[in-house]
Amino acid sequence: MIKKIKASTSEKVIFIFILVLGLFTFTSFLLLKDKCLFVKNYDPQKINFENPKNIAILNVGCGNVIIELYPEISPNGVERFTTLIKSKAYDDVAFHRVIKDKLVQAGDLEFGKKGNIDYGKIGTGKSGLGQIESEVDREFNYVRGSVGLARAKKYDTEDSQFFIILQDEPLYEGEYTPIGKVIYGIEVLEKIKYLDKSEYVLRPDFINSLRLLVN
Amino acid sequence: MCLLLISAAQADTIYQLIKIPNLEIYNIKTENKLRYLYAKQPFTIGIDNNINCYTPSKQDLDKKYTIIEKNLNRYSKSFLKKINLKYIVLCEDLSISGIGTAGIPDNIMKTLILDIKFNEKYFERVIHHEVFHIINDTFKEIFDENTWSNFNPKEFNYAECSTCTKKIGLETYSNSNGFITEYSQSTASEDMAEVFSHLMYGSLPNKIDPILEKKIKFIKNALSKIDNDFIL
Repeated sequence: MIKKIKASTSEKVIFIFILVLGLFTFTSFLLLKDKCLFVKNYDPQKINFENPKNIAILNVGCGNVIIELYPEISPNGVERFTTLIKSKAYDDVAFHRVIKDKLVQAGDLEFGKKGNIDYGKIGTGKSGLGQIESEVDREFNYVRGSVGLARAKKYDTEDSQFFIILQDEPLYEGEYTPIGKVIYGIEVLEKIKYLDKSEYVLRPDFINSLRLLVN
Repeated sequence: MCLLLISAAQADTIYQLIKIPNLEIYNIKTENKLRYLYAKQPFTIGIDNNINCYTPSKQDLDKKYTIIEKNLNRYSKSFLKKINLKYIVLCEDLSISGIGTAGIPDNIMKTLILDIKFNEKYFERVIHHEVFHIINDTFKEIFDENTWSNFNPKEFNYAECSTCTKKIGLETYSNSNGFITEYSQSTASEDMAEVFSHLMYGSLPNKIDPILEKKIKFIKNALSKIDNDFIL
């Protein structure tokens, strides 16, 4: 005959503690893995914009980044950007240059496309539309969220690459063509993959899509 | 198109823009959009690290900044853009290959490094001298050295380089002899810079000989080709 042994109160407490601990560890693991957990995803359809024609929606892993474009400041730069958006050229293009809390850069259409990345050349690719002139004469306050066109060392070499700054950069005024500013969802960009030891990202995050609110 | 942007502090952003380390912003809210930076720590740049400059004291910096800004405010935003000058780096004991120098212009990086402790007596005029080198480097074709050299007497020859001569005096001659200072006789480019700086500073000799007259006319004419609105 097997004698039934009842668990003591302390044994029950230990058992419950282990169970709770296990549950906590498991959920923490899941939560920590989800880098987008506390990032708000803005729905542009639920926002009233003053000028919807100048709104672009950049969709990335953690949600939407809503950008207001400034054609009155940089008409040619914005025109180039919207031309490429309309042709869906930015879809599946890498954030190839990311500096934590400083900037994200994307838009190499030649060497930065998903499935066709060339790590040796990324950052040097062209759009095929040619380079455009820098528009840096107008006053512009490069604050967190500002979007600018990237260029080579020389002016008038802008093409398709753009950057978004994650901190104020007053020295950028007069250096880079400003094309807009993030008005919602900047925190989404803080979750873009970066490396601690290099500005150029191996196995980078990609743009899912970049669209104009009004086509 | 490898872009040159950003990093940790402003110093890193500055480095990305002009390739000089250890700088911080002194003042960037200026009318003509010049950005004044200073050496927060000593820096070394150039081929074989041959250019060195050191951190100025706050007191010296504040004092000299007022003078430098007053003089550089004479150049308009549009003129500065044409000549490719945007960043003024303030430091002290500037030297190149061990030789002390008032300034190092770099029109490609849009930068002029100024030694704020350079010769007190000629400090203001020398600011314009260094600006001229930026102008000259950006518009080499306008400031043709052969045309300029032909103004001089036939028997005169400039030195091979500005540091290849002992003619370094900056005192303005009371009676010019085609040259405005001893340093004018070092190279054509330095000669032009000396004429320009005297024009800007308003310190031309009382008596101007025919050669110097031609040189002044040449500088004025060249500047008008760059910017018709430029006022000497």
